[in-house]
Amino acid sequence: MITGPNGKAVTRKAAFSRETGVSVNIEADASIIWALLTNATDFPRWNSTVISISGRIQSGEIIELRSTLDEKRTFKLKIKEFVPNQRLVWSDPMGSRVYILEKAGKGTQFTMSEKIGGPLFPLFASMIPSFDESFEKFAADLKKEAETIQRSKN
Amino acid sequence: MTIDDLTNQFTEFQAELKSYLLRLTASIQDAEDIIQETYLKSHEKIGSFRGESTLKTWVFSIASNLARDLLRAKKRWPENVTDICKDAALSDHDFFAEAMHIRKTSTQGNFEIKEHIALCFTCVSKSLPLEQQVALLLKEVYGFKVQEVAIIMGQSNAMVKYYLHISRGRMIEVFDHRCALINKQGICHQCTELNGIFNPKQKAQEELVKLEMVRDAEDKNKEELFNLRMKILQELDPFDSGAAELQLHHLEHNRKVMEKHLGEIG
Repeated sequence: MITGPNGKAVTRKAAFSRETGVSVNIEADASIIWALLTNATDFPRWNSTVISISGRIQSGEIIELRSTLDEKRTFKLKIKEFVPNQRLVWSDPMGSRVYILEKAGKGTQFTMSEKIGGPLFPLFASMIPSFDESFEKFAADLKKEAETIQRSKN
Repeated sequence: MTIDDLTNQFTEFQAELKSYLLRLTASIQDAEDIIQETYLKSHEKIGSFRGESTLKTWVFSIASNLARDLLRAKKRWPENVTDICKDAALSDHDFFAEAMHIRKTSTQGNFEIKEHIALCFTCVSKSLPLEQQVALLLKEVYGFKVQEVAIIMGQSNAMVKYYLHISRGRMIEVFDHRCALINKQGICHQCTELNGIFNPKQKAQEELVKLEMVRDAEDKNKEELFNLRMKILQELDPFDSGAAELQLHHLEHNRKVMEKHLGEIG
């Protein structure tokens, strides 16, 4: 899985695929981050890259996601892996988005990557915008929201 | 812990538990049924109480599980619940006739704006997902700590913090948009409208300035105003006040309207 320095996105291009990744240390429990990543209707409140997600983010479910990357399109995605507080994967025929949460000191290392590709990838590669900026915003928004919740008074 | 200890302590927090269950279910009957069942279950399971939390936390946990089992299949109420219920009340002659009868004959038939504010919160908070509503009530109204709420709900502290963060945020937003008591642009004036109906000789403004939340609305931020709203709920027992019967009648009306609106009864 490809990742860059803390909070910076990195993209690796190949003839038939493209992979973008970002990783950031978040001073919050994995369960807070997990709650944010799996509450579909709450996404637009804290995540500036997501317009809407409908459906339930649970194993085997289908969700419909609208992103600022391409506001006109609705992505239909299947939840492929759902390991609470550790790993979430959703995908469509074009590729997969993987979220990984790992304990890191008192906080959590959050990693997100997406690989898109296939035999026809070279034909439409130029039409797909870069994910770098969106990934960095996603990670920064998640870090800000999770740390705010973590710091909230008991 | 003996049965006598349980009974004595249960009696001490019974009113608080009943108030919590009413605000959670919006139903007098459900609150009364659950509190009885809670006592029976506590009695049956007292041998397994290890003192890892207070008895009150343990009992609230049993009650919350019973309430969640009951409410899980029910739909959330819409945020504009009070608009829908107002329309229904206006077209229901019996509602106002009954309310006026209570107003005139009952020792608990006063109309008080703060009581209506509490009733309004009970209704609007039912628009939250159930887990968020439970966490919010336990922490903000009944004064449990995050760790105690986590025990009651069987969740991690982190998840409770998440529930509290988003439920508070949502309620602050809804009341800021709707409540004319704290925002001049607010679209709901039901408190003052009802005060005009039930207390025609009283000047609503004189009553409103007695409430810190209203008096300080322009000086305080939304978070502080929400805390003051919660303070109103903390200080009121919905079953035991000079306005209780009138407000319970109103709550029962709203619940029935919502059940019909949501297709839960014919």
